[in-house]
Amino acid sequence: MNKLPNNPQQVWQTQPVEGIKMSADAIRQRAGKFERRIFWRNIREYASSLVAALLFAYFFATNHALLFRVAYALFIAGLGWVVFQLHRQGSAKNMPAELGTLTYLQFFRAELERQRDVVKNVWPWYLAPLVPGFVVLTAASVIARPNSAGLATAGLLDVVVAVLFLLIWKMNLRAARCLQRTIDDLNAAERQ
Amino acid sequence: MSTTETIPAAAPTQDELYQEAARTYSAPLERLARAYEADPEIRRDLLQDIHVALWRSLGGFDGRCSMRTWMYRVAHNVAASHVLRQRRSRSQALVGLEDEELENLPDATSGQPAADRSQALDRLLILIQRLKPLDRHVILSYLEGLDAASIGEITGLSPGNVATKIHRIKTVLARQFQQGGPDHE
Repeated sequence: MNKLPNNPQQVWQTQPVEGIKMSADAIRQRAGKFERRIFWRNIREYASSLVAALLFAYFFATNHALLFRVAYALFIAGLGWVVFQLHRQGSAKNMPAELGTLTYLQFFRAELERQRDVVKNVWPWYLAPLVPGFVVLTAASVIARPNSAGLATAGLLDVVVAVLFLLIWKMNLRAARCLQRTIDDLNAAERQ
Repeated sequence: MSTTETIPAAAPTQDELYQEAARTYSAPLERLARAYEADPEIRRDLLQDIHVALWRSLGGFDGRCSMRTWMYRVAHNVAASHVLRQRRSRSQALVGLEDEELENLPDATSGQPAADRSQALDRLLILIQRLKPLDRHVILSYLEGLDAASIGEITGLSPGNVATKIHRIKTVLARQFQQGGPDHE
């Protein structure tokens, strides 16, 4: 007769497992796959910036007005800076080799702090680099169409962009506060 | 001068260390992955990531802690990264062991003892997967049979804090399994 399960440790430790094991060769292959997966995961994270950069490159190549070309070049440079910063500080990375020497609190807190700093400082590394492009684009639009319709179009574009930037900034600040709460919980747990 | 000097045994290679760790701990690693990820496909990926991270990390294994401590640190740290990534796409709020919300998990309020092992395991998984990462770590270590000192060494929590959490875990599990209290065992 089956005994009713009343010992959680026993229930947990005797659950059926597939017995997955990997040979050293399989691990090396998997490590290679892992690197590629990280690469493509990062590419997906950068995809929107890369697509936008390609679009601006097309505009740069097809537009012959100097000021517009300067604006598009500034956008491309700004997006390049954004991708570089994404890669440097915010993207998925390979697992550090010292995983076995760090306690869970040390590792988890460091990860949370890294992510918090990325989202908290979204203005200098993500939004500000795009501002010069917008400023020059506005100036180029006004010069190209120095009438009320041109001014209205440029003004509307700037308002939309400003609202968008504000929303992104606020959302990231909220995410930073959320991460900080988790960090505070960890610190409190460590002090107990 | 003696001609029978013993040649010191060669230190195990990274591959040998990994094979030994994988042979000894493959089942705990699978259980750990199941506790951190419900989706079978993503879980398989997570488990393989843990194996890769373990193999990679063993290049720096210096024996200052036990292989078991090392293995659990690596596995939980990889799983923590996984939880952080998944948190972006999953809206369900995680709860702590001290939260009152833990009293109201599905199945916990049915008032019925678990009828069989499968149901008991389901209840355990529901409970574990709703916990915040640190508490999830502690309950998993407890379920694997690790003592408070080992859990402290792996998590970085003080022994007193681990003991408090384990007491709370026993209370929660006793209620889930209708055992009658934390001192039942």
